Amino acid sequence: MSLEKPRPSTTDHVGVTEQGLDYEALADLLGDLVVGRESHINAEGFVVRPERVAEALGRLKQQAGFDHCSCVTAQEYDDRFESIYHLKKYADPTQEVSVVVPTSRDDPRSQSGNSVFRTADWHEREAYDLMGITYDEHPDLRRILLPETWQGHPLRMDYDQEQPQVVTFREHANPLKEDHREDDADTMFVNVGPHHPATHGVLHLKTVLDGETVADVDPDIGYLHRCEEQMCQQSTYRHQIMPYPDRWDYISAGILNEWAYARAAEDLAGLEVPEYAQVIRTMSAEMCRIAAHLLALGTFALDVYGDFTAIFMYSTRDREVVQNLLEDLTGQRLMFNYLRLGGVAWDLPEPREEYFEKVRDFLDDLPAKLEEYHDLVTGNEIFQLRCVNTGVLEPDVAKSYGATGPVARGSGIDYDLRRDDPYGYYPELDWDVVTEDGCDNYSRVLVRMKEIEESAKIIGQCVDLLEEWPEEEREIQSNVPRTLKPDNDTEVYRAVEAAKGELGIYMRSDGTDTPARFKIRSPCFSNLQTLPEMSTGEYIPDLIASLGSLDIVLGEVDR
Amino acid sequence: MNWGLLQQANNSTNGSGNGTNATNASGGMGGGEVQTLPDTLASLLGLGDGPLVTFVMGIVAAGLVASFLLTLVAVSGIWGKRKITAAFTDRIAVNRHGPFGLLIIVADAVRLLSKELIVPDGADRPAYDIAPIIMVSSALLGFAVIPMGSGIQLADPEAGLVYVFAVASIASVGLVTAGYASNNKFSFLGGLRAVAQNIAYEIPLVVTAASVVIFAGSLRMSEIVAAQSATLVSLGPVSIPAWYAFVNPFAFVLFVAANLAEVGRNPFDVPEAPTEIVAGWQTEYSSVYFVLCYLSEFIHIFLGGAIIATLFLGGPAGPGPEALGFVWFVLKMLAVYLFTQWARSAVPRVRIDQLIEIGWKGMLVLSFANLLLTAVIVGVAF
Amino acid sequence: MIGILKGMATTMKHALDGSTFTVEYPETAPEVSPRFRGVHKFSQERCIWCRQCENVCPNDTIQIVTDDQRNGEQYNLHIGQCIYCRLCEEVCPVDAILLTQNFEFTADTKDEFAYNKEQLKNVPWYKDIDPLASREPDRGAWIGEGDGEVDYE
Repeated sequence: MSLEKPRPSTTDHVGVTEQGLDYEALADLLGDLVVGRESHINAEGFVVRPERVAEALGRLKQQAGFDHCSCVTAQEYDDRFESIYHLKKYADPTQEVSVVVPTSRDDPRSQSGNSVFRTADWHEREAYDLMGITYDEHPDLRRILLPETWQGHPLRMDYDQEQPQVVTFREHANPLKEDHREDDADTMFVNVGPHHPATHGVLHLKTVLDGETVADVDPDIGYLHRCEEQMCQQSTYRHQIMPYPDRWDYISAGILNEWAYARAAEDLAGLEVPEYAQVIRTMSAEMCRIAAHLLALGTFALDVYGDFTAIFMYSTRDREVVQNLLEDLTGQRLMFNYLRLGGVAWDLPEPREEYFEKVRDFLDDLPAKLEEYHDLVTGNEIFQLRCVNTGVLEPDVAKSYGATGPVARGSGIDYDLRRDDPYGYYPELDWDVVTEDGCDNYSRVLVRMKEIEESAKIIGQCVDLLEEWPEEEREIQSNVPRTLKPDNDTEVYRAVEAAKGELGIYMRSDGTDTPARFKIRSPCFSNLQTLPEMSTGEYIPDLIASLGSLDIVLGEVDR
Repeated sequence: MNWGLLQQANNSTNGSGNGTNATNASGGMGGGEVQTLPDTLASLLGLGDGPLVTFVMGIVAAGLVASFLLTLVAVSGIWGKRKITAAFTDRIAVNRHGPFGLLIIVADAVRLLSKELIVPDGADRPAYDIAPIIMVSSALLGFAVIPMGSGIQLADPEAGLVYVFAVASIASVGLVTAGYASNNKFSFLGGLRAVAQNIAYEIPLVVTAASVVIFAGSLRMSEIVAAQSATLVSLGPVSIPAWYAFVNPFAFVLFVAANLAEVGRNPFDVPEAPTEIVAGWQTEYSSVYFVLCYLSEFIHIFLGGAIIATLFLGGPAGPGPEALGFVWFVLKMLAVYLFTQWARSAVPRVRIDQLIEIGWKGMLVLSFANLLLTAVIVGVAF
Repeated sequence: MIGILKGMATTMKHALDGSTFTVEYPETAPEVSPRFRGVHKFSQERCIWCRQCENVCPNDTIQIVTDDQRNGEQYNLHIGQCIYCRLCEEVCPVDAILLTQNFEFTADTKDEFAYNKEQLKNVPWYKDIDPLASREPDRGAWIGEGDGEVDYE
């Protein structure tokens, strides 16, 4: 297996032992900060006083090496509000710990983790927006997904959905009002988006320009907020949630997203997945990854080349082949709804040989096509002029913002959940994690293109395996009860490597057949946070290129 | 017919300045005066030679040329562009309306003209309206002195080349006017970019053209064409003419590149840069005004093509009888147009600072080097 | 410079070989796979009014009205909000619902896509399809039921 990576020695961190994490040592490290313990399915939770959050996070980061704040989940109980900081290590994401911060119902107020992890900025704003927890010392605590004039916090139990949201025009901030920043008459305020050819959906960048240079950029998201978390909280584990992950990152990455839910729910309910189904999952997920990366490449070319570039159509044409394969397998081209808890919905389409033939043809044609892209894109001198050393994202900054996926790997961070937190059939296969050290737009494009090759390698091996698989052992689903009711108060946070990075799901059960809290940790949400770091001080075209290289899908950012 | 009048005014001053436009063999052999289109029309209709006749015939001839150009733009801009882009991107493109989808031109014209004309709040009104007209007329005016073969040339002033560059660069005024009058920040940025770009690339363009002038020894368009009719090398039955593209390929490449910047096409389409600043200076133009902007862009491309054809590709020269000259000329223009579309399909857009840098630090230096080199060669060899 | 020329050569190669990958829809309709999930087809003759489809539907596309004897009275389908997840077909014990391969339908407003069972018989793009003729039902997806109650109401 080529998956062994030279792990940086984490043994000098507190709590790291041969057998895994020693939570007692971590508890000692936190000392009197800990007021209680909780047990989540794959991580121990330390309950911390709301006014000492930053200290606890800081100790875990500095001394125990938890440098990745994966997600911040806010939720409501009958007697309290709670923020959970899911911490991991970039070096080894199987080492996880949760920092649980309960706050009172009357005045939900806790300290911000923003001084330790920059990524907490947006996550806490989201928690404030949807749940109404106030974070002290937060630099910029305002609503993020909902309009700033929204009344109430919609994920609270006592939220009145019927309450009218009447907002007078006067109250609404007029984005056109300010022409320049404060007294500085040399700058100009420009709204890039929400309707702009290059924002890949409805993203609004509040940009302050100094001539052609970007002086400040503030992404304004939420235009595509569809209450996905709440919809999942109202749907049953067994069937109804599965169609929705397709609609988060809706650009062909459906099966990857479904896998995130499947993995979390299977852990929550303790379901086994037959090996044969794992192979099919792995194969179809990698097909999705190829489709998603091809589209990322095509749209990035649109951003850098202009609207008439042929590259976009070529990548669409090649993506079409993958989509046909996926359609044959799943019955749909984008909204697959193919995975089921405990397996997949269908076996491979009959006749199997024909399907294998098609997949092999696709894999055989792929190198020539990628060569074409290298001629058109990465080999082009003007493209290099545009992309090398623009949109630089230093590894430290990327880690602090919780960047994952090709964005992190383009900054030289060797982090891929498929290998580091193995699931599916990945550990049995021979493939490599692609990293580039350039930290710039060019590296991110290169990472995606190389990942297409790696995915093709994985698919090829899966096809070989499936072809050899004995007919009597082709079990596509394990035995799963018709109604799933996980034990009361079980909590799980699980992530998979989706097309854009770490897609995590946090679920808490309350003994019914629907989750009490369903939180989506979207990779695009965290990745988009790095945009101001990347583009401040650069030119407008670099801002657009950086945005394109982040490859965000607003459906996943806003959920 | 604003441009017609302007052309005519220009035309008549030429006529009086040069004295009589004596009849001469059309096609422009030798260094003498060529017969211009108004004169031909006058003599065909049996009208005499007077200021009024020259005036009327000038308007008629200008109208003919302008109509032809607008037709060319309609065909190549509305229909051809789609077909060409589709070919590069493996698509089919328009094929439902009429033969080869050609009637899409009518449909598109109706569609564009029937759209609502939206004037943004706070637009600087007269300037906002004038800007597209300035741009279209500047491009059309340039064609007044282009020898298009088969005797089609409206005027042949002595300083023809200078005239072409002068009127073509009036478009910059239109661009900046459109940019600031639209009361839109994207337009404003686009206008500023357009001016910065035009200034940066106009100089290399003109300096490179000057190297041709050194070869030809004249600024008169017909003479530049005539100077290219000699044979450079004979390879058996095939003789390669002394087109300046063959004589001085370096200048040709330089000129073509600078021309891409001048007409604002990839890799130099930063004034519009749809993914960056929406549509640049034309963001706020709709309906008829948008049609004018669109027209001006295409006519500018064709004017660029016409200049390239005249300066470097032997003008209307080509195999077959001289009467076919016009066909060859249009083909050369279309080839340049095709090249711009080709570049669009595969060449990334440079950043604005890189664009300016390439212009001032690269192109300018190279064009002066080319000029010096040409001067030395011409001085030594001839 | 070489890279730029290579790129231009690539696009020119595509332009010259003349092949296209788009098709002239609707003359050449793209082939959909046998598993394709298109418009939902309901067969009143087969339906036993068990209401499982209504229960499993994630977004209330199906609405069933029964009388107190559990006899079916009305079957309302809001096809405009169907997300084509196929859960209703999978759950149906009698193949009364199938997602056909038809994906072409249109209306002026979304409201026009709400049908009851009488209207369903007259929808032009809908009425002529016999579900079982249009596709083989695939019952393989609904395995691994395990224990747990069956939600007959």
